[in-house]
Amino acid sequence: MADGYIEWARQATDPREARRKPEALDDLVVLDVSYRHIGGLVCSSMLSEFGAEVIRIEPPGGDPARNFSPYGIKHKDTGLGYLVEARNKLHITLNLHVTEGREIFKQLARKADVVIETFPAGVMDQWGIGYRQLSRENPGLIYCAIYTYGQFGPKAACGKPDYDVVNQAISGIAWSTGEMVEDENNPQPWEVPTKIGSWFGWYVGGLWGAFGILTALRYRGQTGRGQLVDVSGAEGIMRFMDCYLTFYNMTGIDKERIGNLDANINPYTIVPVKDGYAMIAGFTDANFYALTECLQRQEWRNDPRFDAAIKRAKLASSKALKPLLEEETKKYTADELLEILLDYVRNKRGPGTPVTAKVATPAEVLQQENWWLRGVLEEVEDLNYGRLTLQAPVWKMTETPGRIKWVCRSVGQDNEYVYRKYLGYGPRKVRELKEKGVI
Amino acid sequence: MSDYFRWTAETFAMDKVFEKPEALKGIRILDMTNVILGPVVGDYLGEYGAEVFRVELPGRGDPTMRVVTPFGIFWKNACPGFFPQNRNKYFITIDVRKPEGVDLFKQLARRCDVVVENFVGGTMDEWGIGYRQLREVKPDIIMLSLNGFGQWGPFSIGRPSWDLAAQAASGNAAITGFPGRPPGKAGLYLGDYTGGLFGAIAVLAALHYRERTGKGQYIDYAQAEGLIRTMDWTWVYQALTGKERERAGNRDLSFCPSDIFRCKDGFVAIAAADDEEFRGLCLAMGRPDLIEDERFKTAEARLKEDHARELLQIIRDWAATRTREEIDALGELYRFASAPVMSFKDQNYDPHLRARGMVWEIDDPVYGRVVEVGPVVKMSETPGRLRWSAKPVGFDNEYVFIKMLGLRPSELKELEQKGVIGKWAPLLGSMPPDDWRGEGVIF
Repeated sequence: MADGYIEWARQATDPREARRKPEALDDLVVLDVSYRHIGGLVCSSMLSEFGAEVIRIEPPGGDPARNFSPYGIKHKDTGLGYLVEARNKLHITLNLHVTEGREIFKQLARKADVVIETFPAGVMDQWGIGYRQLSRENPGLIYCAIYTYGQFGPKAACGKPDYDVVNQAISGIAWSTGEMVEDENNPQPWEVPTKIGSWFGWYVGGLWGAFGILTALRYRGQTGRGQLVDVSGAEGIMRFMDCYLTFYNMTGIDKERIGNLDANINPYTIVPVKDGYAMIAGFTDANFYALTECLQRQEWRNDPRFDAAIKRAKLASSKALKPLLEEETKKYTADELLEILLDYVRNKRGPGTPVTAKVATPAEVLQQENWWLRGVLEEVEDLNYGRLTLQAPVWKMTETPGRIKWVCRSVGQDNEYVYRKYLGYGPRKVRELKEKGVI
Repeated sequence: MSDYFRWTAETFAMDKVFEKPEALKGIRILDMTNVILGPVVGDYLGEYGAEVFRVELPGRGDPTMRVVTPFGIFWKNACPGFFPQNRNKYFITIDVRKPEGVDLFKQLARRCDVVVENFVGGTMDEWGIGYRQLREVKPDIIMLSLNGFGQWGPFSIGRPSWDLAAQAASGNAAITGFPGRPPGKAGLYLGDYTGGLFGAIAVLAALHYRERTGKGQYIDYAQAEGLIRTMDWTWVYQALTGKERERAGNRDLSFCPSDIFRCKDGFVAIAAADDEEFRGLCLAMGRPDLIEDERFKTAEARLKEDHARELLQIIRDWAATRTREEIDALGELYRFASAPVMSFKDQNYDPHLRARGMVWEIDDPVYGRVVEVGPVVKMSETPGRLRWSAKPVGFDNEYVFIKMLGLRPSELKELEQKGVIGKWAPLLGSMPPDDWRGEGVIF
């Protein structure tokens, strides 16, 4: 390793210095009118972490997403799912069900660079505040609509709500994940297509939304023209599904769920260890050699099922190797296993680099110093919500790192400021609108 | 409202895509990557017009993804697993472990806007083409490094990583799967594709900043950290309550119902969190009595553990008597969320996904008909597009080195003799199809 590289990298991207650096997107005004949807919030979080002024527009009673929380737990007025993705955003209320509310929204959109919404396709248009109407007065507007079925196509007008689990179902991720049925005559309740535990079907839609907005931003920078950006969380994950659609067309094989085995490589799986579970990998020939050395199972290398990477990748070989592997890994704790493999790699005891990692529980993740040093997890101090542990922006950047400035605001907390700043409304006007139920 | 869908159908018509401009036209990406996490960044950006130069070693090329394919099956001498990260790219080779290779790489970097790499931390620097060296030849360069655990920090030092290590270390595997069963490995390279997207977002933000200030920058992204970011309420919940987030199968612990159910001919997802949607679901099930049932009357009541279990059982029993199609249609009629658990074959024949270009057929000069997953983000003015598929090793060497760097054919030959550049070796995954007769070569 070249001298001082690691130290240079640490200093140049130190997350503790992030707040002292400039912000990449602090020239943008974003209206996030997403409703009952974590993906819209994730989308605007990406922009707010980079400094955009994000104005969350909730209905006067608050966004129902504020209620999305495990076991219904609330912290102050807000559920935990929302608390994670309210970062750096101003919060105002506006009733889009009344004409006056829609008029006010139009005026705000005239001042905005970006609008994010998550209603079923066509709802905003029907209200007279969709892309077609808003872009007439603000041709540079970038309007991002996130919806399972998108804005066009045979199912776009179906009107169904957008949910995480539905996005995961359509995407192929549920089909491809989960345990195989051991006994066809007696399938177990867990031997079913399985979703990723988190709201992955919402998060990925939000990430693609941010990607689309920033791509559109470059075009606007060159031409002054905005556009409609149409994103589906289901399609967002569909893009992640390795080569399986392509592979189906090449071979006629519709890849199915195969539990903790891997369709492409072997071994590359999760195995039991003395103190829980660990992932273990050694699938190239060199790495398989290394793994068999580490586990003292040199004879596997000569087994005709396992003696070449391509042979090992056959499903039957994966199934055959798994119990043999488990028998060995159960002899060690996750740390012991890691120590054996690292000793092999660091002391160059032979070719190849086998890999293992403990399947960490969330509690273990929270205890590991690495993530705190790297600024991945952060205890954020907030004027209203106190100290909360949140996942921080994911990138270390030398010039414009993301950051969390505050956690959340209560419903309508920034009404006075935002309506004064953008539309010149004084306290009297705000009170009047409040009495009329508009904000 | 129907007018809206007529308008969107015209605006987003797939047959007009190539008539429209591209948002990232003029952006050049030097793609010094391997496997998936790195390569997919250039693919995502290339779909929207960036010009991407994928650098491999002469001969084998990408040592992993030109070999890694489902069940070890190759197709037309190519590795199917290599395709989804490598569309629209120019394929060149440079051995940067040789001084001439470093020089060649730097010449290209000078002509590019973004460098993407995913080697073990410090490798590029060691080769003399790290950020510190490249900014000397291109001061406003944007460089993105992606790997398992980042460029610095206790977990990053000398530790190789794969996607599954990130799934394990992040806690993602621990919260995926069923209670009482082992943690769940995702049925895809989850951290790779997600990580590439995080990386692409950072590159786009950095490009905007460069547009405003003229400054480039360096970006460090770690795969496990990206997955930690996507794990919603896990961290705040743990820290506030001191309780462990357990695996919950397909159930959502934040609202009910939301689950996957077995039906007559497969599986369906159903969700109905708010009262209006729940009402629709009850009517669809022919169970109006449940609407006023005290156990299920409010979202809060439905979330109580006993009630949730009872409700999910009622839906489970009902779904078992219906088909995927019936439940899909009932969701539309009664306005609750429902969709079949789709396989890749299902997706392939789905008229909606086809109309949206998610199932995209390329007529490729080297491979013929290739069906790929299309660009995710649909853009009214600057839609994404797929031009060509992945290519054999070193396929575009002549075109790129002559057009971009003005090299003479004799210089190319010399570099080839020294092993600095070169074409494919006769290996599965690296070489063209047997019946290939030079189609698709630019120069």
